[in-house]
Amino acid sequence: MSADVSDLSLVRRVQSGDKGAFDALVLKYQHKVTKLVMRYVRNPAEAEDIAQEAFIKAYRALPQFRGDSAFYTWLYRIAINTAKNAVVSRDRNPVDYDLDMQNTDESYELQGRMKDAETPEGLVLTDEIRTTVNAAMDALPEDLRTAIVLRELEGLSYEEIAASMDCPVGTVRSRIFRAREAIDKRLREVFEGGLGRTEELG
Amino acid sequence: MNEELDSQLSAMFDDELPQGECELLARRLSRDAALQARWGRYAAIGAVVRGDVRVGSSVAYKVHAVIAAESAPAAQRPVAFAGSGGRTASLWLRGVAGAALAASVAAVSILWLQGGLPGGAGVLVARAPVPAAAAPETRASYVVPRAVESRMTVPATELANYVVAHSEFSTPVSRRNLLSALMASEPAAVGAPEQSLGSVDDPNPHADDAR
Repeated sequence: MSADVSDLSLVRRVQSGDKGAFDALVLKYQHKVTKLVMRYVRNPAEAEDIAQEAFIKAYRALPQFRGDSAFYTWLYRIAINTAKNAVVSRDRNPVDYDLDMQNTDESYELQGRMKDAETPEGLVLTDEIRTTVNAAMDALPEDLRTAIVLRELEGLSYEEIAASMDCPVGTVRSRIFRAREAIDKRLREVFEGGLGRTEELG
Repeated sequence: MNEELDSQLSAMFDDELPQGECELLARRLSRDAALQARWGRYAAIGAVVRGDVRVGSSVAYKVHAVIAAESAPAAQRPVAFAGSGGRTASLWLRGVAGAALAASVAAVSILWLQGGLPGGAGVLVARAPVPAAAAPETRASYVVPRAVESRMTVPATELANYVVAHSEFSTPVSRRNLLSALMASEPAAVGAPEQSLGSVDDPNPHADDAR
């Protein structure tokens, strides 16, 4: 399977004026872009701001995207440049960030968590999703768990996973889908049941 | 939901769906809120497996709101969020201000993962100034209070107090944007002309974004 086909399908739709397709691209890449940006700014809330800015820049530049490189390569480049610019801007305005500048690595994480406190629901949501997904992963049959871990954590293609699990590609696709469905079912139960349901479901 | 469709969605998410099927599904994905919510949850699952920091990210919703604002009539533009380049404020801000702005963003993000944003971008913006009409058509969320009416009456000064009280936990960029939005949302400023999007602090945002 050629890489980037699904992204390109969405990109072409955005280029033809379908904004909903860009929502799908952002939903798919928001975590990866935020994680990438955190290599530069480290504070999660600030990283989300920069990721947001990068996506908006990408949206505005998308009409010029010709598909010479993969969409995510292009997007990551925009994110890196946006993050670098933010760091330069921060260095030019040290007063705003003087607390950050005094921090050691050890205290940085704590400060990041404190700044995260501005969105307590976001934190709760993160914890809830993480707990639910991890519990659901633990409950998966081993072949399903292995397939989705190889895909999501190792980034292997279906063909590579098939080779490593010694099974047909179609089986890999089915296993990954079934794993996602099982986890997603638990996630939906938590969303519909409200906070605190994770323990009951565990 | 159709299991075959969901299976295709999973394969498309992994870039393992044939091109022809991808194009058909991309069209549906961009319009089907439930499918988009499932897509978003697949992304969240992957983020947990990889150990990403902010799984409950609200980036997608914020980007959605800013892009929707760009195509909306000026009077209906919602306020932008921190880091989006300093856009305009509107009644939308006051509509969500009673509880907490950041919390509301998180709430809508949850709605998205629950079943998608009702109506898509255009409807979101059109409905935003009238919170009563903007009550989500999806299932009730555990973080979205039903009593929207009282939020409308919260004066901007109360929100300002909230912002100040929480300022020590927020980023400087967030503070600037929130306080600017507050000033713009004061009654005297409601009729003031709005700044053009993207022109405040970044006149040429793509200047250094190499292709």
